[in-house]
Amino acid sequence: MFAETFLEALAAGLFLGCIYGLMCVGLGLIFGVMRVINFAQGDFLMLGMYFNLYVVSVWGLLAFLGPAAAPFVGAILAGPALFVGGYLLHRLLIARVSGTSVSGSEDEGRSAQLILTLGVALALENGALILFGSTPQSARTTLALRAWEIPLLYDPTAAVFINKASVVACVLSLVIASALYFLINRSRLGKTLRAAADNPAAATYMGIDVDRAHRIAFGIGTGVTAVAGGLVATYHPFQPYVGLDYVIIMYAGVVMGGMGSILGAFWGGLTIGLVQQLSTLVLPTQLQNAAIFAVFLLVVLMRPQGLFGRAAERI
Amino acid sequence: MAGRGGLLFPLAAIAIMALGWLALGLAVGNSYYQLMMTLVPIWAVLGLSWNLLSGYTGLVSFGHASFFGLGAYTVTILLVRFDLTPWFGIPLAMLVGVAAALVIGYPTFRLRGHYFALAMLAYPLALLYVFEWLGYQEVPLPMKREAPAWYMQFNDYHVYMALAVGLLVAALLISLAVERSRFGRSLLAIKQNEPAAEAAGIDTLKWKMRAITLSGAVAAAAGGLYAVVLLVVTPDSVFGVLTSAQALVVTLFGGTGTLWGPVIGAVILIPLSETLQAELGNVIPGIQGVVYGIAIILVILLAPEGIFWRVRDWLHLARGAPGAADRSAAAAPRAVVPVSAERQTSPNILLEVSGLSKSFGGLRALDGIAFQVEEGAILGIIGPNGAGKTTLFNLLNGFLKPNGGDVVFAGQTLVGLKPNRICRLGVGRTFQVVRAFQRMSVLENVVVGAYVRAATEDEAFEIAREAVARVGLSPRLEALASALSNKELRLMELARALAGRPRLLLMDEPLAGLAAAEVEEMLAAVRALPSSGTTVVIIEHTMRAMMRLAERFVVLNHGRVLAVGGPREVTADAGVVEAYLGSKWTALHARG
Amino acid sequence: MLAVEGLTVAYGGLKALSQVSLAVGDGQFVTIVGPNGAGKTTLFKAISGTVPTEAGRIRYEERDLLAMPAAERAHLGIAHVPEGRQVFASMTVLENLEMGAYPAAGRRQWARNLERVMALFPVLAERRDQLAGTLSGGEQQMLAIGRGLASAPRLLMLDEPSMGLAPAVADLIFERIGELHREDRLTILLVEQRVAEAVQSCDFGYVLETGRVVLTGSSEALLKDDRIRTVYLGM
Repeated sequence: MFAETFLEALAAGLFLGCIYGLMCVGLGLIFGVMRVINFAQGDFLMLGMYFNLYVVSVWGLLAFLGPAAAPFVGAILAGPALFVGGYLLHRLLIARVSGTSVSGSEDEGRSAQLILTLGVALALENGALILFGSTPQSARTTLALRAWEIPLLYDPTAAVFINKASVVACVLSLVIASALYFLINRSRLGKTLRAAADNPAAATYMGIDVDRAHRIAFGIGTGVTAVAGGLVATYHPFQPYVGLDYVIIMYAGVVMGGMGSILGAFWGGLTIGLVQQLSTLVLPTQLQNAAIFAVFLLVVLMRPQGLFGRAAERI
Repeated sequence: MAGRGGLLFPLAAIAIMALGWLALGLAVGNSYYQLMMTLVPIWAVLGLSWNLLSGYTGLVSFGHASFFGLGAYTVTILLVRFDLTPWFGIPLAMLVGVAAALVIGYPTFRLRGHYFALAMLAYPLALLYVFEWLGYQEVPLPMKREAPAWYMQFNDYHVYMALAVGLLVAALLISLAVERSRFGRSLLAIKQNEPAAEAAGIDTLKWKMRAITLSGAVAAAAGGLYAVVLLVVTPDSVFGVLTSAQALVVTLFGGTGTLWGPVIGAVILIPLSETLQAELGNVIPGIQGVVYGIAIILVILLAPEGIFWRVRDWLHLARGAPGAADRSAAAAPRAVVPVSAERQTSPNILLEVSGLSKSFGGLRALDGIAFQVEEGAILGIIGPNGAGKTTLFNLLNGFLKPNGGDVVFAGQTLVGLKPNRICRLGVGRTFQVVRAFQRMSVLENVVVGAYVRAATEDEAFEIAREAVARVGLSPRLEALASALSNKELRLMELARALAGRPRLLLMDEPLAGLAAAEVEEMLAAVRALPSSGTTVVIIEHTMRAMMRLAERFVVLNHGRVLAVGGPREVTADAGVVEAYLGSKWTALHARG
Repeated sequence: MLAVEGLTVAYGGLKALSQVSLAVGDGQFVTIVGPNGAGKTTLFKAISGTVPTEAGRIRYEERDLLAMPAAERAHLGIAHVPEGRQVFASMTVLENLEMGAYPAAGRRQWARNLERVMALFPVLAERRDQLAGTLSGGEQQMLAIGRGLASAPRLLMLDEPSMGLAPAVADLIFERIGELHREDRLTILLVEQRVAEAVQSCDFGYVLETGRVVLTGSSEALLKDDRIRTVYLGM
């Protein structure tokens, strides 16, 4: 009996963890690589969810794909849409408190970023409340109602049930996270973005337009997180304030994974998914989030460079 | 921050504000507005509590809801479970706040910058879920009809308002006392430059711990009163992210690092958001948050330090900027006031460095450095870029720990001591980059350095005045640091170090960026130091000036001592010439 | 090729450069020497556009450089090898070189330039997949120069390539710089503290002290001039 619950929690943790990993990768690009604090990251996740909902259910633009596949395609399309959103947000607001405009100032604009994006977060989530209402909704795929039954080898009477939607969402997360990993590590664009984040002055000497690179990286970060949001929406209900729950998870994941590493951010998110789900085996359900924060605090205090980070850094 | 300036003005302002608020409250009959007028002071108190820690030290706490929520739940649970009146409950809540601050502060102060902010964010959220799990989802405070006043329950909302204003006055007085004392100035020094504060003899961890415990107590009191006023507590309302955000938003909006900031912020923002919620909340839910968010965005873009500072600067400008006019009236060095004129006649070794080594990773930055400094000397440490000069200073004043070797100062080893201890023993330091409190006067900037030698505020200011006189900056005593020229800033930095009455002063490039005439003034100020009891070790790149300043030199190159001697000896030394001008230069000129 | 006229740069009230003029002809090797704090790095930053200028003009191949955004200047064929190397520490050696080849010219001649850089500094070939932050100081300097060369520059600006390096390594670097000038006919503007090495290989030199040009002359004239010693050592 315990084996079944354990395996189910493990599977749930892995599948959820992959989506968390994808969200963290998006934030990892913004916070980990570019060192910009974006408190509104959770709200881009939320916007990704609503984007998916509207494109699929409300406007029915993807009806031709069928009720099973459409929500997944909607989730992916949230990426480009919120890339544009993030790009514009950076151009209009974030650029004034980050990058070259604040280099050399006392805290590199960090408290200004924190407060500014807190303002953006409040405006976005309450704006969403005005536009979309407070009723929890979901862009559910029909796969969310189906599960695979996997019999356990040693005990033919027992089986583990695995939700099909969460498996598809997990696979898509892995694919997108790997694509982003290759984009950042292998492509010319990705290298340009990394160079601009690593040493803005030297990047300028190479002829790189550092401000533009920062805008693009910010847009990619928000876009990727929005896709993760869209994927969560395929089997989970949500409301406009949902971003607050996730933003903490994302920061915890990025810091745990080690700042500056895309791969680390993914592992960080995955770890959080596992901790959250496995903690239900020993702790009451209400405490699963408390467990995440406890683990997060332990990691930050004991190993500020992150579980998977290599450079010892505590800034 | 009008200096030591009279307390009369702020005290009068606090009294007028409190009485005005109460008078306005009495005039308001509508109970909804009365509630709002009670909540404004409570949020202002939470803002003041946040300001005590984050406003003055610059360490952004995103988790003040921990203290607020623990305060609220302490009062509630004591009343519900033990029938204990909030009159006792609130003081006990403050103790809980202090305990939480100690538990949170010690581990978390090891972190800096955004790690600190994020870690702080995690505490209230963890507490939120713990309280939910404990079954405190929604705890109403029981009505006590038999003795309402004993249980802090009143039919007349004006009493709550008076309590809230009373708490606000208390919090303002605490903030005022902090701001006007070494407590507040030590915290500001930490905000400005933590290592420099440590080097000026300020025990930074101790002051930060004091700040967070005081802050925790004040926030817990605010939380306790909040529970009493609203009569119901939920984890979300007291531990939620928005509660932490409220503390920081009212302060940043109004102005950080001043006691008026949180008050201004709360007075503007709370009624704004509550009114919006009440008027439009049913028609357009969320309009409150949108307006709130946009207000925050605008403030950050237009007045990043908050409304108070923006208005204050604007008033200063309107009055005709002081300082800009008298910038030319720079002072020439004055007669020097001897501090401890007990100079020995026989040379006495004050500092002895032996076998000092330091590696970073595999790289040997310093290797077996040895030299001595006689009391009353001016020793120059020179060498090309990357020779290890600043690393040497960092080892001498305790920023870094050596891998080997010893530093003996006045018969005592300095290795392993914290920078503030080393400063206390009599080793001062100035830095290459001068960071000043722009909005504070020269005297206030310098006094930070004097606390290490002073028992009282008055004594500290006396020592600071003396130090300012020593560098010849007395005519600019009351000028704001923002109005100083580059040279005056350097002299102020020197005065700040001298205010700690060091027997040995380590100066890191005091001439950097000075024009030729200014260099002369700086040289005069430094030359006068030994006669008044301060031995000087100085790093400088401007060799020409150094040759006229120091009697002895230690030349470093690639982390080793290349030569030791007087100006003529070292400039004639082939190794030194080679280090500066390249090996080929020596070869060419030896031939020619 | 490059002409700086009456350049003045000030930071917060203090003049880092005042009325500096200098010229670099096509194919020339020009050196600027001077002690620390003389304003050499500021001059380079003004040419690259990362500090604002107060007065004066900078012309490059008949174009007004000051009218151009900093990032566009690299695309004109100016490679700036900054003080303190400033390699992209979190990227590999090869990636650093690829970033050097960001301008179109660098991309077109990538294969040839890469080969040339690897021939000049074989150690970079050995470490091509290593993170730049883990290289030694000398290797990082080689990488910084290689990164500059990867852009297929017409003007190579080097800021204190010998800083913090052991003498043998510094000598090797100077040798390679000389080679680039002689064999590749590259125009070079070099800023250095180590006078003899820098002046010896140049066509023309300028001595900077506290933001002003105090001496100019050919290589031979400067090498004989003992006033340089006074500028550096004060006596």
